[in-house]
Amino acid sequence: MSTKYGGYMGKVLKINVSTREVTEYPWSDEERRLFIGGKSMAAKILGDNLTSQTKPFSAENLLVITTGPLTGTGAPSSSRFNVSTLSPQTKIITSSNCGGNFGYYLKKAGLDGLVIEGRSETPLWLHIRNGEVVFNDAADMWGLKTGPAQKALDERLAAENGKPVKNGKLVIGPAGENQVLYSAIISNERVAGRGGTGAVMGWKNIKAITASGNQQVRVAEPEKMKALNKKWFKYLRSHPLTGDQLPRLGTAGLVSTMQMNGQLSTKNYNYGRYDDFELVNGETLAEKYNIVNKGCLTCPIKCARTVEVDGKPVKGPELETLGLLGGGILNNDLEAILKWNYELDELGMDTISTASTLAYAMEAREKGLWDNGLAFGETEDISKIWEDIAYRRGIGDELANGSRWLAEKYGGKEFAINAKGLELAAYEPRRAVGLGLGYAVSNRGGCHLNGGYMILLEGLSMNVDPQTPHGKPDMTVMFQDLMEMVSAAGQCLFTTYAFFPPPLISKPHAWYTRAFCKAVPVIGPVLRLLNKFPGMLCFNIPVVFNQSKALKYATGMPMNFGKFFKAGKRSYTLERHINTRFGIRRKDDSLPARLTDVPQIEGDEKTRVPLERMKTVYYHARGWTQDAVPTPRTLKKLGLAGLASYKETCEAFRRGEFQDKPAGRSAGAGKEGA
Amino acid sequence: MSHVITDACIGCHICAKNCPVSAITGNIKEKHVVDSKLCIDCGLCGRLCPKSAIKDAQGQTVAKLVKDKWEKPVIDQSACVGCSVCAENCPTGCLEICAPRFHGDIRTIAELSRPDDCIGCHICGRVCPIDAISYKSN
Repeated sequence: MSTKYGGYMGKVLKINVSTREVTEYPWSDEERRLFIGGKSMAAKILGDNLTSQTKPFSAENLLVITTGPLTGTGAPSSSRFNVSTLSPQTKIITSSNCGGNFGYYLKKAGLDGLVIEGRSETPLWLHIRNGEVVFNDAADMWGLKTGPAQKALDERLAAENGKPVKNGKLVIGPAGENQVLYSAIISNERVAGRGGTGAVMGWKNIKAITASGNQQVRVAEPEKMKALNKKWFKYLRSHPLTGDQLPRLGTAGLVSTMQMNGQLSTKNYNYGRYDDFELVNGETLAEKYNIVNKGCLTCPIKCARTVEVDGKPVKGPELETLGLLGGGILNNDLEAILKWNYELDELGMDTISTASTLAYAMEAREKGLWDNGLAFGETEDISKIWEDIAYRRGIGDELANGSRWLAEKYGGKEFAINAKGLELAAYEPRRAVGLGLGYAVSNRGGCHLNGGYMILLEGLSMNVDPQTPHGKPDMTVMFQDLMEMVSAAGQCLFTTYAFFPPPLISKPHAWYTRAFCKAVPVIGPVLRLLNKFPGMLCFNIPVVFNQSKALKYATGMPMNFGKFFKAGKRSYTLERHINTRFGIRRKDDSLPARLTDVPQIEGDEKTRVPLERMKTVYYHARGWTQDAVPTPRTLKKLGLAGLASYKETCEAFRRGEFQDKPAGRSAGAGKEGA
Repeated sequence: MSHVITDACIGCHICAKNCPVSAITGNIKEKHVVDSKLCIDCGLCGRLCPKSAIKDAQGQTVAKLVKDKWEKPVIDQSACVGCSVCAENCPTGCLEICAPRFHGDIRTIAELSRPDDCIGCHICGRVCPIDAISYKSN
């Protein structure tokens, strides 16, 4: 099915690995206009195919790999791809966005996405060669760690072709093969880590997917696109965050800022500061260990680190890994973190969930709930624990199920730091309550990025009062929607850092910066209005937000900031609409009691997340009922009335299964402001 | 899009031997064929063909050119942002992102690390998102 829009290859393949049947997945231009691509497109595909009875480990579950229309067009940081599926970890839909080069090569192979269903009986390696799918036997690769597996793929492709073939790769490690619930998919050095996508791939018996081809992405307005790119690349390189801090220190550079703000999760989120933070921060990493900055294909930011482990250059840790495997388990040995980070990538496991599950287990033992032999600060045998988890041996077999499962078995739910089963990143939400709301309501579980990343304003780059709940729900809605669409368009979320003009970042004490920070909590009603009527923003924002314009030039669709914003809203609400099918309600948008009930600073009641209060405003701003169910009216307004499940929702509302009107409207914005 | 071999082909096999993506097949002294699914339009076959028997994707005959006259990329050092699109697309791997010039260098850019391997295909310039690559022959 070809397309009239630029930026797309016009083809999505559905691959049944049980029958080895390959068909074209019907994806129309109307769907391209509504859902753009990436995670949004994947959500639509999952929504159309999954029922409430679908199990994560079943032939009916789909593994959807999609790209965005900006991938391959030359837009900065646009080589990304998205993996979505019904998560075995959270039991709801999940999406994981990853850099590297696979997205770029999938488009070179002439495809916008892959929809994989069924289960192969024998280990499989799928090679996408210019739009054709070649099924290869992968029995000899099964069991290999991700590094050797990728090397083997290159060798096999070179042997078949006579010369090395440039390609993009996805592989799983032993963790995915053994269905560790938080196992990841690895692409070169980059990781689609969250939500257990690797476990689904492993269950389907797919060891690897590679893509190669010679096709080019057609851009609707190439001259304008190139002119915009030139300005955009230059702007990103000159911005204090994307042109200096991220390249210089990587994401790890935030550790010191978080420490200052009391936002660095320490000892399984007991504290917000770690005394030895200087031994495990971004500055130390940059000065002592970083050999060279690396970046994904098409990226001018280059936030990735390269360090040496056993004399070999390997990928360095990101902030979340540093925070959770550092202060999180009271470990001040950075060299150990570098080694563990490498080992976890080789085994194919999400470092965030692994570290947080480990921290839970350590605390459970400390509290006498589970005698597992682990303790905070005792880190000699941790490498063995990783292996035990990946191969599901001994206590590793239980650790492989994540902190939610463990807390149900051993107790201690108040310190099993997860939301909807997905472990939180290293940011301590009690000192950034907006992020606390984000973690709780995020569609894929405890995720800082899907949660709106309010902490950027609450201390990381700006100084908006981190303890006030005022204005945060509306701002969270706005950030979530914009980030949703930036990701769906195929770009890295770090390009949105540049949304804040350089003077606001580089001059924190200037009058305008202070005025901006003071204004955020009181402009809630204005943001609410924009959230309700995104169509009002019928213009493109120059210089700082080029995403909507780039999408217009690349695809040729009518696009402006308001339409872009609305598409994000559509996507976010669609994901929630699908999750409703799996029973997600207000009670599930929660945080562990440690974060909502226990103040981080003893006696200071403000230092906890006033979650219920913010959720009420949040649902209202989203147009969902107070039980977190998107109403038919909201679905229709966002153009989702064409969904097959829309009618069912309408009938369910008519039957009174859900509250029709958002209850507590009066208890909403007005009282929050009081 | 792909290059095509015309009937003027004498089957000398030079193109097939040199094609960076092994897209050309054929027996010696017989007409050779380009696999359009593999061809990346680098034009090397045309520059090497003794009989000028190769047409490019637009149907123009590719002119024979001695190696010394092949145009090599010149990277605008102030404009390049090191996004590595050129290096990733270079069929011979002669372009690379340079090593850091000092500890903590955050401005690594593309460089022609192995000029002798350059086949003058101009692909790097075509894919560069910010036109930071120009060409000159020796």
